[in-house]
Amino acid sequence: MTHPAAHTGPTKPAEPAEPAEPAEPILSADRLAKYFPGVRALDGATLHLRAGSVHALLGENGAGKSTLIKVVTGLYRPDGGRLALDGTPIDFHSPQDAVRAGISVVHQERNVIPEFSVAENITLRRIPSRRGLVDRDRMRAQARRCLDLLDLDLDLDTRVGSLSTAQVQLVEIAKALSTDSKVLLLDEPTSALTLRETDRLLDIVRRLRDQGTAVLLVSHKLEEVFAVCDTVTVLRDGVSVLEGEPIAAYSREDIVGVMVGRAHTAREFAPRTVDPHGPPMLELDALSTASGHCDVSLDVRRGEIVGLYGLVGAGRTELAKALMGLDRVVGGTIRVRGEDVRIRNVGQALNTHRIGYVPENRKEEGLFLDQPLTMNIAVTVWSRIRRSLGYIPARRERELAAEYTERLGIRVSGPSQLVGQLSGGNQQKVSLAKWLAARTEILIIDEPTVGIDVRTKAAFHQLIWQLAADGLAILLITSDLPEMVTLADRVLVMRDHRITGEVPNTHDYASVSQAVIRLIHGTGSGSLPTAAPDPSNPDPACGFEPSNRP
Amino acid sequence: MTGHTPAPDDADVGRPRTATDSAPAVPRWAGRWSAGTAQRLGLVLVGAALVVLFGSARASFYDQQLTVFPLLRDIAVFTVVGLSQLATMSIGHMNLAVGRMAAFSAMFMGIAYQQWHLPLYAGLAVGLLAGAAIGALTGWIISATGVNSFVVTLAMDFALLGLVSLTYSQLTTVAAFTAKPAGMDELRGYSMADVCVGNVCGSPAIPQILLFTIVAMLLVGYLYSRTRTGRELLLVGSNSTAARLSGVPVTRRVIGAHALSGMLAGLAGFMLAVTSGSFTAGIGSEFMIPSFLGPVLGGTLLTGGAVSVVGTLLGTSLVQVIRQGLTTLGTGLENLNIYLGVILLLALSTDRIRSVVSARRAVAHP
Repeated sequence: MTHPAAHTGPTKPAEPAEPAEPAEPILSADRLAKYFPGVRALDGATLHLRAGSVHALLGENGAGKSTLIKVVTGLYRPDGGRLALDGTPIDFHSPQDAVRAGISVVHQERNVIPEFSVAENITLRRIPSRRGLVDRDRMRAQARRCLDLLDLDLDLDTRVGSLSTAQVQLVEIAKALSTDSKVLLLDEPTSALTLRETDRLLDIVRRLRDQGTAVLLVSHKLEEVFAVCDTVTVLRDGVSVLEGEPIAAYSREDIVGVMVGRAHTAREFAPRTVDPHGPPMLELDALSTASGHCDVSLDVRRGEIVGLYGLVGAGRTELAKALMGLDRVVGGTIRVRGEDVRIRNVGQALNTHRIGYVPENRKEEGLFLDQPLTMNIAVTVWSRIRRSLGYIPARRERELAAEYTERLGIRVSGPSQLVGQLSGGNQQKVSLAKWLAARTEILIIDEPTVGIDVRTKAAFHQLIWQLAADGLAILLITSDLPEMVTLADRVLVMRDHRITGEVPNTHDYASVSQAVIRLIHGTGSGSLPTAAPDPSNPDPACGFEPSNRP
Repeated sequence: MTGHTPAPDDADVGRPRTATDSAPAVPRWAGRWSAGTAQRLGLVLVGAALVVLFGSARASFYDQQLTVFPLLRDIAVFTVVGLSQLATMSIGHMNLAVGRMAAFSAMFMGIAYQQWHLPLYAGLAVGLLAGAAIGALTGWIISATGVNSFVVTLAMDFALLGLVSLTYSQLTTVAAFTAKPAGMDELRGYSMADVCVGNVCGSPAIPQILLFTIVAMLLVGYLYSRTRTGRELLLVGSNSTAARLSGVPVTRRVIGAHALSGMLAGLAGFMLAVTSGSFTAGIGSEFMIPSFLGPVLGGTLLTGGAVSVVGTLLGTSLVQVIRQGLTTLGTGLENLNIYLGVILLLALSTDRIRSVVSARRAVAHP
C-alpha cells in the first residue's frame, strides 16, 4: 500500500549559494535532522535568519515547523546538521543556553505559570534579585517596560491564570521581549489574538526589525505573513523546499502550492458507495454550545466519512465532546437517526444513541494504561453483558477482547497484557476497539494517527475505510491533510468554532488541499469571512459570547 | 511530535496474520498477578518467620487465651479498617476520616441500643447506614467541588470529631453508651469453641467476631473481582478522564466508593465497640494509619486502579503480629511506634518501587 503522503522528494533542490544576500546570517541552521521513533520530523531543514529582517517559516501541520524551533532553542538536540550563531557553531544543552545566547521564543503552547503574577511571569527567565531576595521594584519596572513595548495596559499583580487567552498570549510575547535578544522566534503568536491586537503585534515586530533584531514568524495566517515578512522558508515533511527566498516574488497561491506539494498518490482502497439521499445518522442543525460553537450544521450518513478540518483551537474536539454530552448545548438541535435528542453524558451517547468517540490524546483520555487489555476493551460492554447481582462473566469479556484483538490486528502477548506496554499504534487500536465492541453506529475519530509511524498509519486508514464500508457513520477530525484527502468523502472546514465551508473530496490532493487551506486562511471566495471575527464582539446570531473568555 | 516509542513490530499490522498472532495461550492475569502473588507470598513468609521468632523468644506468644485470641480479634477489626481504606484507594482517593466515620457510625449504634432499644443486628444496620451516608456525603462533596479527597476527608475528620464528642456529652453522662443488647457480650468473648456441630467444636483461639471480617472480605472481593461496579471503580482509579469518556458514571462511582468506605468503617467501629464493651467517642481514633498499612503492604495501589482483599488481610496480620510480638517481648509503647513507623515507610516505598520496576519492565519489553 502506498502512503498518500509519500512525496517524491523536494521539488526544488536548494541553491548552493545565495550571492545576492547582503548580510551574513545571525542564526544559521543547515540541513537539520531530528528523528523520533518512526517519524522523521526534520530531514534536511535549512533556515537562515538575518539581523533587521523578518523571516516567515511556513508549512502544513506536521511539516516540522515547531520541531525546528525546538531544535534551534535547545529543547531538542538535533540528530544531524549544523547550527551556528554569528558564524560560531553552537550546541545548546538546554533552553537556558539559548536564552543566554540571545535567542527568545514564544512557543505555540502556552508556557506561563498561572499562579504567578503578570510581572513574575514576564521576568521569569531573569528575576531581578538583591542579596538572594527578589527585587520587586526592579522586577515591576522591567515588566512594565516590556508591557509598554506592547502598549499593553495590564495590572502587573494580576494572576496570569485569571487572564483571557489573548492576554496570556500577549504576556508570553512580553516575556520573550524581557531578555534583550538578537533573535526572536514567534510560533503562531497571533492564534488567539483579535485583529487589533494582531496589528499591534505586527507593529512591534517591525519596530524590533528596525532595531536590528532577527525575527522568525510562524503563522498559518498568510495575510500577516505577507504584511510583515521579508523572506520565506517553506517546510514540507521535514524538508525545506523553499529556503530564504524574498517573499515579494511569490503570490499567496504560489506559497500554498509550495506548502502542499503536488505528488500525492491517490489511495488504493476498494470503492465505497454512499447513498447521497439516504437519511443522515447524525445531523446537527444550527448547534451552539457553551464552549463557543456558533451555528454549526452538518450531517453524516451511514457508510460515510465526513472530515472535519481546522487548525488547533478551532473547536473540533470540543464539538465532539458536546456530542458525547460533555459540553452544554445552548442552541440548535442534534438529531440521531432522524430524531431530536438531548445527550447528557457519555453513557447515554453510547448506550442509547450508539455514538462513540475515539479521543485525540489516547494516553490521557482513551486508555487505562495500567490495566489489562480486557478491561480496556470491555469497559463499554459491561452494561450489556452484566448478569444479576452485577456479575460480569469474565469469559465473555475475554472472548470479546480476543475477537477485537483479532479483527483489528492488535499485537499483544495475551488478553492480560497491560495496555501501557503496547506500542502507540496498537494502543490506538485498543482505544478504537472498545467502541467497536460496544457496537456503535456513529463514530467520531479525533486525530487517529498522531505520533504513529507511516506504515501503521496506512493500516489504520485501511481500517477506518473498512469501518465505513461496513456501514458506520464516521466523523473524522484530523489536522493531517493527506489523511483527510485519503479518507473523507467530504471535508468540512472549521474556524473559530464555526463551519466556514465544505469541500467535496475529488481525491485530487492538490485541488482539495488548496481549497481547504484557502478556507482556513480566509483567502477563499468572497462569500467567506476574510478575517477572524473579533472575539470581544459577541455574535448576534448566537446570542452569547463565544470563547476566548477569561 | 510525541516522544512515544512504537515497537519495531508495530509496522507489521498490515501483514497477513498467522495463528500465533491472535491471543496466544498465556495464563489469565499472568505477569500482573504473579507479581502480586509473589508479594503476598512474601508477606506470609515474613509473618510466619516472625511468629516463630516471637514464639521461640517467649513461649507465651503461643498462648491461646492470652495472645492468639486477642491477636486474631485485632486482625479481624483492622482488616475491616483496611478494607474501608481500600475502597477509597481503589479510585485513587484516600479517607483520612476513616476513624471518625467509625466513631460516627458507632454513635448511631449506641443511640439505637440505648435510646431506641433495638436488637443487636438492627442497631448494627442503623450504624452501617449512618456510615454509608456520611461516606456518600464525603464523596459527593469531593465530586461536586473537585477538591482533593485528602483535604475533604481531613475536614470531615475534624467536623465529625466535634460532632461526635458533642453528641456524646449531650446524650450521655459517662461519655459512653453502655446499654448492651442481647448477644453482644457473647459476641465479645465467644470463640469458635462455642460453635459446635455435634461433638466437634471449633478452636478456642479463634474469635467469633472474625466471621464479620470474612463476610466483609467475601463481599468486597466479589465486588472488585466479579462485578461491573467494582471494575468501574478500578478504572476510575486508573484514569478518571478516560473512564468518563468511556461512559463510566464517574461521579456515582466516587460517591459509591466513599459510601462503601464509610460503611466498612462503621462495621469496624461496631467490632471494636463489641470488643471493648461500650460505644464511646474514642472509637476509631487509632484507625487511620493502620488503615493504610494493611492494603498497601498487601499490594493495593495508593494511586488507584488495583486492589487486593486477601493482601489487606495479610498486610494487617503482619502489622498486628509485629505489634503483638513486640508487646509480648515487653517493648515499650514508644519503641513500638518507632517500629510501626518504619514499617509504614517501607510499605509506602514498596508502592513506589513497584511502579518504577514495572515502568522499567514496560520500557524493556514494550
